[in-house]
Amino acid sequence: MSVQKTLPEAGRGWQRGGAQAMRRRLVERLVSMLCNIATVIVLFVLFSILWTLVTRGAAGLSLNTFLHSTGAPGSGGGLANAIAGSCEQTGLAALIGTPVGMMTGIYLSEFGQDGRVVQLVRFVSDMLLSVPSILVGLFIYLIVVEPAGHFSGMAGTLSLAVLFIPIVVRTTEDMLRLVPRAMREAAYALGAPGWRVILGVCLRAARGGIMTGILLALARISGETAPLLFTSLGNLNWSTSLGAPMASLPVTIYQYAGSAYDDWVQMAWTSALLITVAVLATNILARWWLTRNGSAQ
Amino acid sequence: MNKIIMDNSMGQNTAVPALAIRDLDFWYGENHALKSISLDFPTRQVTGMIGPSGCGKSTLLRCLNRMYDLYPGQRATGEVVFDGRNILAPGLDVNVLRSRIGMVFQKPTPFPMSIYDNIAFGVRLHERLPRADMDQRVESVLRRVALWPEVKDRLNASAAALSGGQQQRLCIARTIATRPEIILLDEPTSALDPISTARIEELLDELKQEFSIAIVTHNLQQAARCADRVAFFYMGELVEVDTADRMFTAPHAKRTQDYITGRFG
Repeated sequence: MSVQKTLPEAGRGWQRGGAQAMRRRLVERLVSMLCNIATVIVLFVLFSILWTLVTRGAAGLSLNTFLHSTGAPGSGGGLANAIAGSCEQTGLAALIGTPVGMMTGIYLSEFGQDGRVVQLVRFVSDMLLSVPSILVGLFIYLIVVEPAGHFSGMAGTLSLAVLFIPIVVRTTEDMLRLVPRAMREAAYALGAPGWRVILGVCLRAARGGIMTGILLALARISGETAPLLFTSLGNLNWSTSLGAPMASLPVTIYQYAGSAYDDWVQMAWTSALLITVAVLATNILARWWLTRNGSAQ
Repeated sequence: MNKIIMDNSMGQNTAVPALAIRDLDFWYGENHALKSISLDFPTRQVTGMIGPSGCGKSTLLRCLNRMYDLYPGQRATGEVVFDGRNILAPGLDVNVLRSRIGMVFQKPTPFPMSIYDNIAFGVRLHERLPRADMDQRVESVLRRVALWPEVKDRLNASAAALSGGQQQRLCIARTIATRPEIILLDEPTSALDPISTARIEELLDELKQEFSIAIVTHNLQQAARCADRVAFFYMGELVEVDTADRMFTAPHAKRTQDYITGRFG
């Protein structure tokens, strides 16, 4: 049996639309071209930032960076104190901010029957979300640093926590509200008390989104400089004491990037690279963890 | 209000019903959604509830496990007698009530956890079981709903990966795992394909050996196939209740007749 290869002549129906169809195809091509160009521009900016960071930052990267604290220009110091300080302050801020933020978010979403209080809390939290971070620094300066009479890692931690909390509040509330009513009712219908419905079912359903919010908050505070300037100040020496001034990567960037010494400028670039890599790594890790637990959204 | 036509010739009404509703009224805020309903649910039978959308049949179901408690502004008056107590009375432990009167919803609602934990979640609320007993409970209810052969090798997989019909059977398994006496089903097959629907209907037939069942359905054929007795609701009122046979062949009320012959709905 032979297969017919040529089609019969195309029907007249295909000419439907005429000039209008032509124009439509043209517009479509134009718009998709514009979208492509925009994407290329954005990617170009992103990658050029990354490229600059990697090339400039990696040059100063050595074992020294992690083993030695910052020192005088030309002394070949590292960033150990800043790395430790950043980890300690952001880590503790997250440790304080996650439970407080999540519980507030749960309150707003689940116990939101009494309208007034809830609206007030939501309003304050949303306001905090958009407050310039330097104001948070000033605030902590006034209530913690000034009474104590000195800068401290604790004050830095607190100011970061203040920035951290409202992000977690908002995402927790939003994600819990996305949990279908039917799922809640199904849990109640089994005879579950409210707290088990929230902890056992709703939070579980929302954990992917909440985790994303926590990571976003972590990324945000790990780059914050302004609130740390008035609170933990910075420290040239190794110190992990919350009662004393504490170094951090963003403050190191701020202090060193504008200096006249080449090795300090180099250290600022390296700090920037470290922050970026850390944020990237947390993101990737969290994604991997979420997909492994089968709740990727 | 129309006269409610009760049929007493079945003989079953002389036995103690699993659940007896007396003069039940229900309000969504100002909206009077159920008007003076009185209805018995015979033990170990399937009672079907039919009627056009908004007639109150789902609302009635939600009274029977106090689901409306979750929403302020919803309230019920009257009596629903279950095991010698009026379950509408304040002070009743609704969590115990809900473990004794289970509910399956229209859309399958697997919890975001493994198949095993979906079942164990409900059991753990009311009983402390050693691991081996829990394993056994999970297996027995999964066998009961004919899901065991399909999931026995992936009990730890997420329940969300199951098909819609499997999810609904899992939800039924989850409900019977807490050992209720009554199961309420709110249009349990309206989101499912015909084959899954048929399997669930078969399952109902088997479950009524052990449980008293109340099922709300939009599907009249389903009511005719599954239910022993059928109640017809219209605009918040119970119009008629009778055996399924008589309801679909010789209904008393004009409105029932109009509805089951498809003149409105």
